[in-house]
Amino acid sequence: MLAGSRVIIGAEILALRHRLLKRGPVRLALLVVLLGFAAIFIGGGSFSLGVAAARYLPQARDPILAAGFTALAVLMFVLGFPTVIASLFVGRDLLQLVLAPVRPVDIFIARMVLAMIANLLISSLLLAGALGVGVGSGASPVFYVLAVPLVITQVLVVTAFQALLMSIVLRWIPARLARDFAAGIAGLTGAGFYIAWNVNLRQSFESRTRVDFTNAASFIQQVGWLPPTWPAHALSGVIDGSAGAGAGWTVLTLALAGLVATAAALLYGRTLLAGLGVFGGAAMTWRRPKQRPAAVARAGAGSPLRAIARKDWLAYRRDIRRLSRLLPALLFPIGYAFAFSRPSKELSGFWSEVFLIAFISMFMSTTLGTPSVPSERRGFQLLRMAPLPMWQVIRAKVALTLPAVLVMTVVFGLIVALVERNPVSEIVELIALGIWLGLGFVAVGVSAGAIDPRFESSDDRRAVGMVGTLAGVGGALGFGALSIGAFALLVFAAGALAGTAHLGSLPSTPAIGALLGAAALVLAAGAATLVGALLWAANASLVRFEDAIAAT
Amino acid sequence: MALPASQSPFAVEARHLVKRYGVVRAVDGVSFQVARGEIFGFLGANGAGKTTTLRMLCGLVTPTSGNSLIDGYDVFADPMQAKARLGYLDEEPFVHPHLTGREFLDYIADLYRMPRGVERQQRMERLLGLFELADRDGELIGAYSHGMRQKIGLASLLIREPSVLLLDEPTNGLDPRSARLVKDLLEGLAARGTTVLLSTHILEIAQALCRRVAIIDRGHIVATGTMGELRTQTGSEQATLEDLFLKLTAGPESKDMIERLLAPERS
Repeated sequence: MLAGSRVIIGAEILALRHRLLKRGPVRLALLVVLLGFAAIFIGGGSFSLGVAAARYLPQARDPILAAGFTALAVLMFVLGFPTVIASLFVGRDLLQLVLAPVRPVDIFIARMVLAMIANLLISSLLLAGALGVGVGSGASPVFYVLAVPLVITQVLVVTAFQALLMSIVLRWIPARLARDFAAGIAGLTGAGFYIAWNVNLRQSFESRTRVDFTNAASFIQQVGWLPPTWPAHALSGVIDGSAGAGAGWTVLTLALAGLVATAAALLYGRTLLAGLGVFGGAAMTWRRPKQRPAAVARAGAGSPLRAIARKDWLAYRRDIRRLSRLLPALLFPIGYAFAFSRPSKELSGFWSEVFLIAFISMFMSTTLGTPSVPSERRGFQLLRMAPLPMWQVIRAKVALTLPAVLVMTVVFGLIVALVERNPVSEIVELIALGIWLGLGFVAVGVSAGAIDPRFESSDDRRAVGMVGTLAGVGGALGFGALSIGAFALLVFAAGALAGTAHLGSLPSTPAIGALLGAAALVLAAGAATLVGALLWAANASLVRFEDAIAAT
Repeated sequence: MALPASQSPFAVEARHLVKRYGVVRAVDGVSFQVARGEIFGFLGANGAGKTTTLRMLCGLVTPTSGNSLIDGYDVFADPMQAKARLGYLDEEPFVHPHLTGREFLDYIADLYRMPRGVERQQRMERLLGLFELADRDGELIGAYSHGMRQKIGLASLLIREPSVLLLDEPTNGLDPRSARLVKDLLEGLAARGTTVLLSTHILEIAQALCRRVAIIDRGHIVATGTMGELRTQTGSEQATLEDLFLKLTAGPESKDMIERLLAPERS
């Protein structure tokens, strides 16, 4: 590695070490335990899937590996753009590097390594799955030696491709349009690609529970020539004992990585300064005001809640990085609404819609609600100094996020319900469920961000720490499961009261209906308590917060 | 938006403030009082504990022990009363980069529940005019220079007329004309009864503006008083504030250190 890059990466590692040690021994130990559990359960699950797939579907090993590598590439492409922008074109430390006698290629290498870290973590799942395929196929040791560098190469190709794309935008798109253009590309390409892939893959499923891998294999084979599948072909070549195929695809993969990374490095050197100007801060001018007299001020008392909501709304419209995150978020529900709304043999349309509403509500709440407190950045100190209890800040964030989530959830739920021709009673039930879930998920999302905020993060997606992320995921899953459980019990209870429910071995009687209704209330109370506990923890965390927040 | 004053004779009171970070005592038993309408200087070298003390006084940092009182209200026991009376300007002001100056002032005014209406709007226009920010209407704060951020930070305090101002290096980054404006403004505010606690490195400003000063060194207050009292305390009757500061925060003589640094190295 080049000397300059080594120095920069060394400093970053040192900073990371300090950030970790700052947490204290208890939180560090907790983090290690949680990561251990995640590695065992998620990594182990992925490994087991790989073993099972390779053992029971030997004819589909290549498509399965190709699907894994393609999924990883798409996932990194969708989720990684803001990280690549933040790593390569944003930050005061980058300004310092530009001023120093450091070659752009050194900066590029060091920043690429940083940009790749998150993707490498994601790719460890693929690696576990690929190793499982190797074990299930009884592959030679060469397979395992090759799998690790090929996964890393895949991460490098995608990250370098993103950097290349951004450099092209900065080189040839006028600066005043570059931010919007980049955000548009990042959001629309990534989300569109992902949804197309997802929907296509779902079409290859015969039903929700029985997976038809033959169709999946044929779909993957159709796109088998695309570069993201090359490392998979190399690995399946090794499994099949074809040294030529393994070596050929490996060379192609490495050559592509070299080509893309070199092109990105060369262009990055020419566009770094432009990128710093375009992405380095807020837009210079929001609008050129016309010379007009000041508007007549509205009367009434000043409201902190309204002030925070208005400020957030203005900042959202003007912060291109947040907007770029919102675009895929808006596309995902549309794609999923389409994908989920197709009826299956095992579930009635009504229950498909229940899961669709739950998914959209949870997804939108996480996307919009979770970063809402950390996105205050240094401005959070203004809130701390104002005569304003922290629960009011949380309330303001919930109040601002809730309408967007409810509108999305109810509109999509309503569209699907109308397309499916649900009776009015079911539509009312779905809307009531949507409102309940929206309230809960938004509160959970906002709380997660407040429990472990990273106010100094310039990237909203990294603005919540590990504890907050786990609290958010756990809270959302817990609340969702309890709420949908309560809803299901209520629906069955109503059926039992009317004597029309199909409850298996249980009789459909009013007594059973009352019992199910009571159980539903207990579950709903449990869901509400969980949300209440998270809100309480969020308030306590914000009240306790006292770190300095450096300007980023 | 004047709030009723409490019974306390002091506008600011630090009572035995201690802040420990692990084994480091950043602030170690700091106590002082600032009377109403006084401009009080808080001086110290880099890392002496000035900013930590100011942040404890305004409620941003919780003291390990001790109390911070604003207008008689404990900042941590009775935060709403204390914060409503207090304005704090950080050396790097807390601003929202995606708002324009006018929108930011509006945000702050709402945050402090200032009544909306013509009076508030006129005050906002006057402040933007005073700090020469009125013609920057279409510009976001993120694009402001450091000095302009400092000005909008000051304007965001003055829009709501707090009775106590805690200012950490308020003239930092300001051009000479704006720095003069701030000095005149602080004198004017003090004459109208506003209390100003001013932390600064620029000793000329402290000497010109402050009736009393406190000097902090390595977390301890080493002297508090008027210029006359400090001179008597150090036995240097003709000393300037700079002389007193250097004497009270004595470290290695800088002249010797420079000579040693510039001396040719012996092999």
